[in-house]
This record gives sequence, C-alpha cells and structure tokens, in this order.
Amino acid sequence: MIRDVPHVRADLVMAHRRSFDHVVAAGSLLTGAERRRIAEVAVAAYLDESPSPPWERPYGEPLLDATYRLSRHAGTLTREWYEALVAELGEPLCWVEAVGVVCATVPVVALARAIGLPQPPIPDAVPGQPTGLQARVIESGSLNWVPVAAPADQVAPVVQALSALPAEWTNLWQLAAAQYMSDRQMDDPRWTRGTLSRAQMELVAWRLALVRECHF
Amino acid sequence: MLSWSSAAEGRQDGAGLEFEAELLEFTDAIAGYDDAALTEARSALERAAGIEFMVDAAAVAANFEMMTRVADGTGAY
Repeated sequence: MIRDVPHVRADLVMAHRRSFDHVVAAGSLLTGAERRRIAEVAVAAYLDESPSPPWERPYGEPLLDATYRLSRHAGTLTREWYEALVAELGEPLCWVEAVGVVCATVPVVALARAIGLPQPPIPDAVPGQPTGLQARVIESGSLNWVPVAAPADQVAPVVQALSALPAEWTNLWQLAAAQYMSDRQMDDPRWTRGTLSRAQMELVAWRLALVRECHF
Repeated sequence: MLSWSSAAEGRQDGAGLEFEAELLEFTDAIAGYDDAALTEARSALERAAGIEFMVDAAAVAANFEMMTRVADGTGAY
C-alpha cells in the first residue's frame, strides 16, 4: 500500500511505505539490491498460482530458496531445516535479515490483495554497503532457533525474534502498530481502533494463524 | 488473546460476535489462493460492515501473515 487510497488509514499507508523503503535500503549484512531480490522472491512466492512444493529449491541459491519456502510454506519449517540452512549460509544473521525482509514485504502484498488493490511496486534498491549494525551482544536463547539480543529469553519469542538486528525489529513493530496494535495497546483487552472490536480483531488473528498452522 | 478479549467483552471464546461469519470467510479467503472467493468474501464483509471495517480487518490479517512468518522463520515457540 504505497499510494494514498480512500478508506485506508493514513498511518497504515505510511507504515507500508516505510516498510518498502526499509526493504530496499542496505541492511546489516545485505545490500539494498540483495534485499530487493529477497522481496521479489517473497512477492512471487506469496502470489504464486502454481507454487513449487516445500522440498523443492526453485532458485538454486540457499537464501532465495529459503525465502521462497518461508513466504509460501512457512508452516513446514523445522529446526533441522534451519540448522542445515545456517550450515550452508555460514552466518545465521543472514537468515534473520532475510526473515526481516520477508516480514517487511508480505503484509504489504497481503493487504493490497485482500482489499482488491493492484500490487505496489517495490522501489529501486538504494546503493550502498551493508551497515553492519547489530545488537551489541548477541546470544543463543531457548525460545528461538535464531540468535537474539542479550539477555535472551526475557520477552516473548516473537518479540525477541529479530532483536539481533535492530533495524529489522523496529520495522516489524512499526508495521504491527499500524496493522494491529502496539505492544502497549496489547495490554488492554478492550483496546480498539473504533472499527473492529478487540474480540473481532483477535478472531481474525486466531483464524489466520490457525489456517497457517502457526501456534506461537 | 481471543479468550481474554472476549471475556473482557462479556463473551465466551469469540462466540456470537457481530459479523463473525463474514470475518471468518474473509480471513479464510485471504489465507487461501482463490481470488474469486476473496472477491466474494470481501464484498460480503463490506456490505455487512462497511469499507473501513473491511480494510481494518484486512490489516489485522496482513499483520498475522507477517507474525506467522516471523514465528515460523525464527522458531519462536
């Protein structure tokens, strides 16, 4: 959702615009061009009318094949699969960054499709080298496969999931605040934007996660 | 979360919510890959509850297309 659209909240439009700008800028370990390619694969996988099965590797590149599988067959990922991927990549934070890019891309595509708008184009990549920005101390926790910012396991696993890479973490939660609610608003079971009640919001959330076979 | 928010609204597990059937049909269509079914479900929810409601419901679904992938991709359990 990049352009202004009637009936769509301005904060939601802005959150999606920020997310696509984030996708094409240099990340911690990947260039803007590499991140844009990951986003292209995520879009193609999400909208694929004839998807390849989860066990196939349609791109012949570990990070792109993993991106395709996360974007289309996320419920099939296992710890063994993740460990094999990291052995191929040699750097677990590359995967954390790719997850951040997928999570920055898929909701933009999903919302446009859901409300019947054309898919927004992914902007051109911003030139520049990777920033190298990471959490000051990174460690393994017990609540996620991926390494996270220290101290591990002090917050919910989805909250610490991208914490090793602060730019990915920040983008995920700015999206959540516009699409759903902020972490502070979650503390109030009656919080609502004025359209859906909180229970209606949770009904949609529960059903989507159920269909995706995701029980976090 | 559904149980918690339903209890706060004096309901049980989301049962009897206004536009419940239309919301479930719309969410299922978003998670599915049948564009005709999605168009039909979108129109049904919009007729029942209005376009702003439909867009906000779609935004929540989009959020959980994101959250399910961050959970599955990072082994967040």
